[in-house]
Amino acid sequence: MTVIPVFFGITLLVFIFLSIAPGTIADLMGEGGNAISSDQAALEERLGLNDPLPVRYLEWLGNLFHGDLGLSWQTGRPVAESIAQRVGPSLILTGTGVALAILLAIPLGTLAAWKPRSIWNKLASVCSMVSFGVPGFLLSLVLVYIFSLTLGLLPASRMYTTGSSGSFGDLLYHLALPAAVICISNLGELVKQTRAACLETIGEDYIRTAWAKGLKGRVVLVRHVFRGSLTPILTTVLTHIPHIIGGSVVVERLFGWPGMGSLMFTAILSRDYAMVMGVTVVIALTVFSTNLLLDLVYGLVDPRVRQGRGGV
Amino acid sequence: MKKRPIALAAALTLTVSLTACNQAAPAPSDNQPQTTSDAPVVVSYGISNPWDSLMPYNSASGSNYSRMIYDKIYDRLAYVHADGTLSPRAAKSWESADDGLSVRFFLDEKAAFHDGTPVTAQHWVDTILRMTDPECPTLGRSAFSVLAGTDSSGVAVAGETVGVVAEDDYTLKLTFKTPTTPEDFLLDRNREYYVLPTHLMEDVAPADTMTMDLWSAPIGSGPCKFESEVMGSSMVLTANEDYQLGAPGFDELDITVMDKNSLLTALIAGDLDYYAIGGSVSANDQPTAENAGFQVLEGTVPNTFFELMLNNKSIDDARIRRAIELALDKELLCEQSTQGHGTVTGTSVLPTCASYAGDYNVEYNVDAAKELLDEAGYDGTTYSLACTSNRQGLAALMQQQLEEAGFSIQVETVDSTTMFAGMADGTYDMGIASHTPNALPLWFTESRFNAENNIFRVPDTAPYEERIAAVKNETDPDKRTAALAELEDYLAQERPFIPLWFGTALHVQSNTVSGIDYPSASFSNENVWEWVKE
Repeated sequence: MTVIPVFFGITLLVFIFLSIAPGTIADLMGEGGNAISSDQAALEERLGLNDPLPVRYLEWLGNLFHGDLGLSWQTGRPVAESIAQRVGPSLILTGTGVALAILLAIPLGTLAAWKPRSIWNKLASVCSMVSFGVPGFLLSLVLVYIFSLTLGLLPASRMYTTGSSGSFGDLLYHLALPAAVICISNLGELVKQTRAACLETIGEDYIRTAWAKGLKGRVVLVRHVFRGSLTPILTTVLTHIPHIIGGSVVVERLFGWPGMGSLMFTAILSRDYAMVMGVTVVIALTVFSTNLLLDLVYGLVDPRVRQGRGGV
Repeated sequence: MKKRPIALAAALTLTVSLTACNQAAPAPSDNQPQTTSDAPVVVSYGISNPWDSLMPYNSASGSNYSRMIYDKIYDRLAYVHADGTLSPRAAKSWESADDGLSVRFFLDEKAAFHDGTPVTAQHWVDTILRMTDPECPTLGRSAFSVLAGTDSSGVAVAGETVGVVAEDDYTLKLTFKTPTTPEDFLLDRNREYYVLPTHLMEDVAPADTMTMDLWSAPIGSGPCKFESEVMGSSMVLTANEDYQLGAPGFDELDITVMDKNSLLTALIAGDLDYYAIGGSVSANDQPTAENAGFQVLEGTVPNTFFELMLNNKSIDDARIRRAIELALDKELLCEQSTQGHGTVTGTSVLPTCASYAGDYNVEYNVDAAKELLDEAGYDGTTYSLACTSNRQGLAALMQQQLEEAGFSIQVETVDSTTMFAGMADGTYDMGIASHTPNALPLWFTESRFNAENNIFRVPDTAPYEERIAAVKNETDPDKRTAALAELEDYLAQERPFIPLWFGTALHVQSNTVSGIDYPSASFSNENVWEWVKE
């Protein structure tokens, strides 16, 4: 039940911060100090910017209760319509990137913990270093330089080739570079968490017991070490879900990808606070849903949680 | 040892598969047009900022990026060239009437809306009457304030007739409050006057105009037809085969919003054919474009005016404002900023303007600046200098120069909205800004020294307004130049803002689309009907 006040707390805080930020959408009029005050006043009047802050917040909240996220201040079209157009591309891009990162990180982190002096451990360290050390924008530029400009193998922007029918193959072709950036950016944390969780499990008494029983290494690794490390790994994996919905501002902007990240970025720059609030609501709801999902998954993977004995 | 070849093979397979995924599409590195007979000829167009509403009189920002979209879907009276000359568009010709108080436009009979309805003078009249109706929630309505029968905010005055008449089906007459030449009107307002499909709005009350479904799939009479959009991200337009000036030489115009820094990269990679505005590129990126096989040409006329905005309330002594100008080495700043593609100036008036009265520039002189500061009794107050992140280097150089003269300066890096809001409300003392100039003498000053807009926080706008009105109301060329000189003298004496330089853009020429009028794109219009995808 704490979710409800937290949700409204988030919306209220974002609303207040937006309201006290310098400049409004009316200040954007006229480009470069050329705005006419009557034009600005007309816009402010229409958007209700002259009303007191509590009145504006309560009005927005009232509309939210009716499932109405309002109209975009910039385009005059429904906020929900814009978000609906952008969620899909974000899911595809960030979802693919994160899924790839998970597929690579879990085996790599597990092997790195299992064989600390092997090439896997070195590879895990290099991955973490690149992932943590190289910012997303730099990685994007490097990949574009290599694969688009130098080799001419992959496109540098857009979701589909212009004039194409938007086939799955064309989507994959355009997805490769931005998804790779997101994959690499997320890889480090996932490898690090997986490795740490497995290392902790390897030191447990029941692993020593498994060895003493004469079980094969592969069985000990998969059935005991990996399974025992699943809870912290799942926590890390599932906490990426809001990020998947929220999209990636830098990657989407650089690659011209029509996702939620670029929508939020544009909305903030253009002081389209109706849109910012709409995206905030979606992201907040995703975070709460993820937490709920986490609680359910804990119960599934850890019998101690299921039986009410704690364990997380 | 067997694992390494397997890994290499896997990597190779993945790359080849991804490349093969797009066999139907052209390879990104070769800028070849699609040649299959049934494939549409597509022009890929990049833009760094999204557009607003698709209803041109409902644009919250009124930005040039929105205008670039409206320019294609809707029609305007004329086409404005970079050098200030005009070509026919919706109007075939025009003439001055009623002793200069009116302009008569002779509309092109071939013009038609995308639904086939001919565009008549009555459409223009109905558009203007609806937009000036006080019940209609028009944004940017002040564009109509030049017309007779409207107030200063462009709203129709009750009991008066708005200055717009359809003399016959294809003759439109606009009447102004003060004598205005057709050229002055079009240079100043052409980009804000569009004709709407009012035949589809007859049953809609003015108050409901902006919420019509029509604006989610607009019908205009411009050179391109609306097809679809992902709001704020991409848009597909198709060529209007029946456009009165000729059909564009492509089937489809695909517009994508992407980061400004990615536009040139996407052009080189073959993802774009051209990008707004005018394929402009910085001097730093010029070699990159040229090395990639693109020709880069310098614009024919200045398209950027740089100024240092001043807060005349906090810097209330004209001597201090003049000292700021003397302390700035404009030549060095201009060179650093434009790398040889700019000319310093002491006025906002373009040298190509018919009434140009001189450059009014003052030479860099630190000693003279110090003397003026002593004379004014400058007490060492720290002035804030606001700039956007892309001008931090320029701001740092200005700070250094001003501090050499004895000023205390604090640079604040903010986004442009915050900067202009901060200048208007007095938060900042100075700000670096740039604008797109035109050939009119008052393009900059007229809208910045009045009760509606006093961004420089001048205590009394009356002396400026009087001089501006004198220029505006004068139709004799020599007398107008003299009136402008008087205004410029006053500006030089008061220095409410500091003109810095005019910059000329570098345009990357498209390798795949011919006929683009690059320099004129800076003036919010593009000649898409002359574009041909090769």
